[in-house]
Amino acid sequence: MDAFQGLLTGFQVALSLEGIMFVLIGVIVGTLIGMMPGLGPISAIAIMIPITYGMDPAPALVMMAGVYYGAVFGGSTSSILLNAPGISGTVATAFDGYPMAQQGKAGKALAIAAISSFIGGTVSVVLLMLLAPALSSVAISFGPPAYFALMFMGLTAISSLSEGSTIKAMIAAVAGFMVVTIGIDPQTGTQRFTFGNVNLFDGFDFLIIALGLFAVAEVCMLILNRKNRSLSDDQKLGSLKLSKADLKEMSGPVSRQSFVGFLLGVLPGAGATIASFISYIFEKRIAKNPEEFGKGSIKGLAAPESSNNAATSGAFVPLLSLGIPGSGTTAVMLGAFLVLGVQPGPLLMTDRPEIFWGIIASMYLGNVFLLILNLPLIPYLAKILSIPRPLLISLVIMFSLIGVYSISFNVFDLYMLLVFGALGFAMRIFSFPAPPFILAFILGGMMEQAFRQSMTISNGSLSIFVDTPLPLSLLLVALISLLVPAFLKWRSNRLAYKQR
Amino acid sequence: MLATINRKLGLLIFIVAAVYLYLSFQLPNYEYAPIDADVIPKGLGILLLVLSVFLFFSRVVETDAEKAKRNIPKKELGVIAAVFAMIFVYILLFEAIGFIITTTLFIFFCSWFLGYRAWKTNILVSLLFPIVMYAIFVFALGIVLPRGILPF
Repeated sequence: MDAFQGLLTGFQVALSLEGIMFVLIGVIVGTLIGMMPGLGPISAIAIMIPITYGMDPAPALVMMAGVYYGAVFGGSTSSILLNAPGISGTVATAFDGYPMAQQGKAGKALAIAAISSFIGGTVSVVLLMLLAPALSSVAISFGPPAYFALMFMGLTAISSLSEGSTIKAMIAAVAGFMVVTIGIDPQTGTQRFTFGNVNLFDGFDFLIIALGLFAVAEVCMLILNRKNRSLSDDQKLGSLKLSKADLKEMSGPVSRQSFVGFLLGVLPGAGATIASFISYIFEKRIAKNPEEFGKGSIKGLAAPESSNNAATSGAFVPLLSLGIPGSGTTAVMLGAFLVLGVQPGPLLMTDRPEIFWGIIASMYLGNVFLLILNLPLIPYLAKILSIPRPLLISLVIMFSLIGVYSISFNVFDLYMLLVFGALGFAMRIFSFPAPPFILAFILGGMMEQAFRQSMTISNGSLSIFVDTPLPLSLLLVALISLLVPAFLKWRSNRLAYKQR
Repeated sequence: MLATINRKLGLLIFIVAAVYLYLSFQLPNYEYAPIDADVIPKGLGILLLVLSVFLFFSRVVETDAEKAKRNIPKKELGVIAAVFAMIFVYILLFEAIGFIITTTLFIFFCSWFLGYRAWKTNILVSLLFPIVMYAIFVFALGIVLPRGILPF
């Protein structure tokens, strides 16, 4: 099936009544949860997963994808209005969006963010449509060693690109991998670290980890910040209209950063957050008047907004065509696929074209919906920001508990949710990044399997990972991605040490 | 010796890694598996052990932002602990008393405890939310939530 025919299949799914409905539900829920400061796309996806039980995979996944890019789209609203980023991908949006809102131009800032997001998202879906099938057909020949090396590279990339200490990020990744070793080993049947507890035989469901490490831990942070202001009723948004000069000013950054964002989204480890920062710095560097940045510059707002949405669609490239997530959020997306019995990877395009192309086609539609939701309807949607924090906290706790209970009907899992919630909170306090943990948890089982398959092929010799060029080069990239930042940090620390 | 936070965390993680590694060496062996179930855990244990040593001896100075993040007033930690305790009690009673009643009580008291004083809205939300969720899950999605002592 060629791409054109595939896309037609996709639009059949996306433009069916069911498809339209679930895209709409997905982007609305995503926008609303994304807006809530403190609740990110991972929580949004994890909270929505139980709803998809028993649904048809194609509309369900179309909806889940909508939740993801809807959350990135919606996160900008609270960045602009409250200076409290809805998600980490829109932190850079607040740099210029909030000053603009303080100058009484909140409506204009929201409009710029919505249009930039729309263009970034749409450009990136076109690129996704072109790149994902190509990568799928290449990846079909990858053997277990290449897969192992790819996943290994994904983990090192996310660790070295994480905010803060690389050592802490690696510790988080190793810990996530360790948690997945708990349970009965699928290959030999050995019980590992179960202590004879029946509840642990199947290991931890990823939803417990995702909801605990993100939703419950984010609730703890919300509790600490519960007295922060929410949107007051009298806050005026101002006009949403943009002048021709405004549009002209944003055209440059939007067209450039849509591509930058996409590229960073495809690469493992980066994603919306890093893409938005890089694009912001990029535009500031090349701007004629960089001193305007941070004081309400249109360019400074348009750049991260187009980039973070472009990165979101970009992140679907490795997920759909390799079956390997490159970020914490796409790791949870992979979980959503697996819950529905769909294995993404090089075979997805040929085996389940309605899902592969349905998701891509639905993104065109979803971006249009989001533009409508975020332009004329934004004054009404923004009302959700005035939900009192205490009520929001109790409701999110409830959603998490119901979500976990509905996968296993086992109260033991609810206690584990509390345990992982406490762990996630501790990780936040002590600056251990949580995305490497969840990515390692999702990839861990697949990595172990790929490793053992490789070793079985090579009769127990590790040389299988260095004999062929692809795994070797991937592992080298992984090594470099760890060593270079570590070296740079070590050098700058040593300089700082000497100066003191 | 435990002057910095990284030293304390390093030591804690070292202990976790050591325990994990010890348990990995207790795993039974099978003759015929080319790579047995204990290989990856042993590797992970050693890796974490090494990383914890790195963390222990790392000279990276904590940034002010990081310090501020972990400097949480005792009272606030108490609030979080209390919410966790409420969740614990909720889980304890959830199956016996049923979803609707426990959830109503939880939302009302948790919101009230966290400082929400608009009690009329609070009662309304804590009644409506569980009933709507129960209806969606049980009747629309076919996921059975515990009925408990209520007849429906």
